[in-house]
Amino acid sequence: MWTYIARRLSQTVIVLLGVTLISFIGLHIGGDPTYLYVSDRATNEEIDQARERLGFDKPLYVQYLTFIGNAAQGDLGRSLKFRRPAIEVVADALPATIELTLFSMAIAIVFAIPLGVLAALRRGTATDGSIMILGMLGQSIPSFWLGIMMIMLFGVQLRWFPISGHVPLLEPLLQGDVRTALTSLPSALYYMVMPSLAVGVYSLSRNARLVRSSMLETLSLDYVRTARAKGLSEFSVVINHALRNAWLPVVTMIGLEFGFLLGGVVVVEIVFSWPGIGRLLFNAINQRDIPLVQACVIVLAGIFVAINLIVDLIYARLDPRVRL
Amino acid sequence: MRQLKYALIVAGAVSGVPYAVLATPSDDTLVVGLSADIDTLDPGEISSRDASNVAEHIFTTLSSISVDGQVTPRLADTYTVSDDGKSLTYHIPPGHTCQDGETLDAEDVAYSFNRAADPANKFTGNTPGFIFTSIDFKDAIAPDPEHVVINVGIKSSMTPGFLTEVFVHCKDSYEKMSLDDATTHPVASGPYQVVDWTPGSEIVLEKRQDPGNFKTIEYRIIPEASTRTAELLTGNVDIITNVSPDQIGAIDNSNVARVEKVQGTRRMYVGFNQSAMFDSPGAMAIKKADVRRALQYAVDVPTICQQLLSIECERATSLVNPPQGNPDLTPYPYDPAMAEKLLDEAGYPRDADGVRFEMTLQAPRGRYLNDANVALAVGQYLSDIGVATNVELMEWSSVYVPLIRKHEAGPMFFLGSGGGLWSALYDMSDLAAVDSGPNYTDWDDPRWFSRWADIEAAKSPEEERTIINEMLKVFHDDGPWLLMYFQPDFYGVSNRIDWTARRDEVVELFDAKLAAK
Repeated sequence: MWTYIARRLSQTVIVLLGVTLISFIGLHIGGDPTYLYVSDRATNEEIDQARERLGFDKPLYVQYLTFIGNAAQGDLGRSLKFRRPAIEVVADALPATIELTLFSMAIAIVFAIPLGVLAALRRGTATDGSIMILGMLGQSIPSFWLGIMMIMLFGVQLRWFPISGHVPLLEPLLQGDVRTALTSLPSALYYMVMPSLAVGVYSLSRNARLVRSSMLETLSLDYVRTARAKGLSEFSVVINHALRNAWLPVVTMIGLEFGFLLGGVVVVEIVFSWPGIGRLLFNAINQRDIPLVQACVIVLAGIFVAINLIVDLIYARLDPRVRL
Repeated sequence: MRQLKYALIVAGAVSGVPYAVLATPSDDTLVVGLSADIDTLDPGEISSRDASNVAEHIFTTLSSISVDGQVTPRLADTYTVSDDGKSLTYHIPPGHTCQDGETLDAEDVAYSFNRAADPANKFTGNTPGFIFTSIDFKDAIAPDPEHVVINVGIKSSMTPGFLTEVFVHCKDSYEKMSLDDATTHPVASGPYQVVDWTPGSEIVLEKRQDPGNFKTIEYRIIPEASTRTAELLTGNVDIITNVSPDQIGAIDNSNVARVEKVQGTRRMYVGFNQSAMFDSPGAMAIKKADVRRALQYAVDVPTICQQLLSIECERATSLVNPPQGNPDLTPYPYDPAMAEKLLDEAGYPRDADGVRFEMTLQAPRGRYLNDANVALAVGQYLSDIGVATNVELMEWSSVYVPLIRKHEAGPMFFLGSGGGLWSALYDMSDLAAVDSGPNYTDWDDPRWFSRWADIEAAKSPEEERTIINEMLKVFHDDGPWLLMYFQPDFYGVSNRIDWTARRDEVVELFDAKLAAK
C-alpha cells in the first residue's frame, strides 16, 4: 500500500505542475498585466519600473521556473492586490470554502441515500417518478440561478434565511477555540443553508439517481433473495445487505463529488457573498493577480488530488477485492 | 405523534432563528454594502475607490473636497502658498490624537507624506502612484509641531486639491509596524477606528470622535448586484453602491428604499485615435477636425442616457465636469442631417451602397455601466449617417487595457476617465502633454498643448480661467473625443436613512443620519 501511496504522491506533483502551467499560460496569454498596477498617468519609465518590480519583465519561462522553484520551497509569492503572501490570503479564505463544501456534501449524501433507496423500493410508482423528476430538475438547474431564486423566495419574500454573509465555524476550531465554534454553530449552519443547497442540489440529484440504480441492481441479486428467504425483516435486508453493496459506487462518486463541489462553489460564493476561495479566485483572475491565482489553483488541485487518494484507500478498505 | 412533536420543534426553531439573525441594523449602526473587497488599508497602498471611501473615515487629511468642489479645512485650518507656488505650508492646530493616544501634529503629517513617497516601501497606491506623480512631490518638512511644509516640483493651482487625497496618520505607531501589519491593522487618525475586519466579508468601524452620527459603521462586501439589492430590500443594509440599472425600478417601488441617481464625474467618450498606426480611409478621415465635428452631431446622447442608463443627462461640452467647464459652450445637438451635410462638405459623400467610409469602434464589455450596449448604439448612429461602423467588444483587463495604454485602441474607442469637481485643470490634465499617458488618442493640436505654459505663467485665477475657457473651446470644436456623458452612479438607500450621494464617487457617511419618522 505504501508503494501505491508514494506512486500517487509523485503523480500529484505532475498534476500540480500541469495545472500551474496551464493557469500561468492562461493568465499571460491575454497580454501584459503590468498596466493594471500602474496609474493612468504613469509614464513609460514608471510602467517599466512597475513591470520590473512585479517581475513581469522577465521571459515567461523564467517567470514560471522562478515561481516553481519558490513554490518548491513553500513560497507561492505575494498577492499583488493584497500585498501579503498569497498562501496566507488563500489560507484565510479556505476554511469558509471547506465549510460550504462539506455542508453541501452532507446535504448531497444525507438526502440522496434515503431518496434513492425509497425510489428503488417503490420502483414504477408515483413516488419513484416524483423523485426522479426532481432529480432531473436538480441536475438541470444552474446553481447560480437556483441561488438567486432562493434569495428572492426565502430571503426577500419569506425572510427565512439570510441572503448573504458568513459566520466562521472552522476558523475558531482551527484556532482551538471550541467554545466560540460551538456558540456560533447554529448561526453558521443557518447562514450555510441556502448556499449549500445551491451548491449541493446537483450532487444530491445525481447521487439519488445513482443510489436508486445501484439499489435496483443489488435488490435483484441472489443473496438478497436468500436473505429474504431466511426470514430477515425487510429493513434488515435493505439496510444491512442491499445498501451495503449498493454503497460502493456511491463512495467512489462522493470522492469525486468533493472536487466537483469545490468547483461549484466559485459561482455560488459570489452570489451569496461567501468569503471563500472561489470568490477569491474569481476576483484574482479579474485583477490578474497571478501569484494569488496560482496559490488558489495549487491549493484546490492539491485538495482534489488528496481527496481522490483518500477515496481510493477507503474503497480498498470497503471492497476486499480491490488491491492497491 | 412523536414525529409530529419533533416536526413542530424543528419548525419552531427554524422560524425563530430568522428573527434573531435577520434583525434590521440598530439605530446607532449604519450598514453599507460594497461591491468590491477591501484589499488594503495601508495609506500608502490604497488605490481603489471603495478602499479609499472606507479609509476616508479612518484617516484624516489636511483638507477635503466639499460636495460643491471646494477645498475645505480638515486637519489643517489654513494654508499658504509660496511665491513660486512650489511650497505649501499648512497650519495644524493642536489637540489631535490618534487611536492609540499618540499626539497627531505636523511631524506626523510630514512622516505620512514621506513614508508614502519612500521608494524603499515600494508603494503603488493612489498617493505615490498618482498624486505625487501629478504634483512632482519632493518632500514634507515639519519646522514646528503646528506647521508642515509640502514641497513640490510643479507650480499648479491643482496642488491643494491633490493633497486632499493624501491620508495622514501617526508616526510612532506606523514606524513600529511592519508593512504587512500596516496593511491590515490601521491605526486611526480620523473619526472612526477599525474594530473588526474579516477580509472578504466585512469591516466594522466604531466612532471615536466627531464628525459622524452613527456609533458604528459596518461595511459588508457583497459583490453580486442582485444580492446587494436583495439585502437592501430586506432592510439588512442601509446603503448599497453600484445599483444595476435594471434593479432601479424594483428598489424605487419597494417602499422601503430608494435609488439616489447622480451624474458622476467619470467622463465617458469615444476617442478618435490619431496615431499613425491607423491608416485606413476611415482612420484618415477622423484625423480631420471637420469630420470629427460632423460625427458629434450624429449621436443622440440624451436618448442613450435615458434608454440605456436610466437617467436624464446633459451631453458633455468638453472633458471638464460641470460646473468647472466653459459656461459659454453648449452641447452638440443630435442632428443627423447636419452630420451628413458636414461630411459631404468634408469630402466624404455616400457611395452607391450609401457608405461614406468604414470604421472600427472598440469598446470594453462589463467595465462601465452598460458599456457594450452604449458602444453598439453609437455604432448604429454612425452607421445611420453612412459611417459603416463595426463594433468590437473586448474583455477589459486582459485585452482592452493593454491596447488603450499602448495607445493602440481604435481607430475609434469607447472609454471612461475619472474626473473631479474641484478643478477644471484636474480634468484637463489627461491631456497635459502630447506624450502623456492618458492622451490615448495621440492628439497633438498646438492650440491646446501650447497653452499649458500660459497656464503656468498665469498671474491670477481670472487669467488662468480665461486660458482654460479658450482651451475648452478648442476641445469642443476640434477635440479628439466624441463627447458623450458623465457616467451616472446609482446608490440604493434605505428609507430609514437620510443621506445624499455625491457626484464624485466619494461615499462620505459623516452626515448620514436616521430619517425623521
